[in-house]
Amino acid sequence: MPFYRCLIPKDSLSYEQRERIAIAFTDVHCGLSTAPRNFVQVAFLDSSPSGEVFDSHGNGVLRYETPYFIAGGNRAGRSPETKGKILEGAIDRFSEIAEVPRDMVSGFISEAPGSWTMEAGRILPDPGEEAEWLRQTSSPA
Amino acid sequence: MISFEIYVQEGCASAGIRPAVEIALEAVCGDVLGPEAEHVEFAWTVIAKGFGFRGGLPSTTSLVRSRIPDGCDRVTRARFLRSIGNEWCRLAACAQDEVIVSARDWSWAG
Repeated sequence: MPFYRCLIPKDSLSYEQRERIAIAFTDVHCGLSTAPRNFVQVAFLDSSPSGEVFDSHGNGVLRYETPYFIAGGNRAGRSPETKGKILEGAIDRFSEIAEVPRDMVSGFISEAPGSWTMEAGRILPDPGEEAEWLRQTSSPA
Repeated sequence: MISFEIYVQEGCASAGIRPAVEIALEAVCGDVLGPEAEHVEFAWTVIAKGFGFRGGLPSTTSLVRSRIPDGCDRVTRARFLRSIGNEWCRLAACAQDEVIVSARDWSWAG
């Protein structure tokens, strides 16, 4: 369910940087939550001149004014503090690995109920209830 | 109205299957959600090879994200998700663990 779209200028990051960022986002997300690592999806897409991207978990568009933007979408049910830490951690790690000043990176995380998503043919659990779900599911990377 | 945002990893679901997928998903909308499904829109995004990861590893997973009319009960939503997933797997020739399907309420603000 966690889906992080990184909007980046075309050709601005190498494969190695993208891979490291994807691993770092997985570390951040799973370090602050009980989500399994293979839940975490990260995609790198070209940023738009309009500075807008569809909200993958909401009903509108997200607007950004920085060259790099992280559009995150997670399951609802975590505290605002945890949500904030995940976003801050992702921005920190992105900035570090991409070697760009932190103020060139911004982001937003929107959320939707886990029960509105099906993965591996099964409705997702709410945050914190993954263990039982995983016991009943074989979910390869 | 119903809308789909579909993210596919390059090389995992060819552009050639898009018309068949759209027809199949529209049919699911009609079957499961009824008259509310009279207008269905699609937006496709291809994630270039080397630009998509799952758990930090290169991903073959597609994401089929939809917005449906408010008020869908849990059982109907689950049936909708399962039907969409089954159709995707049939047409894209992939396994269930290679597709993530979601359906959020139209007015859900995120």
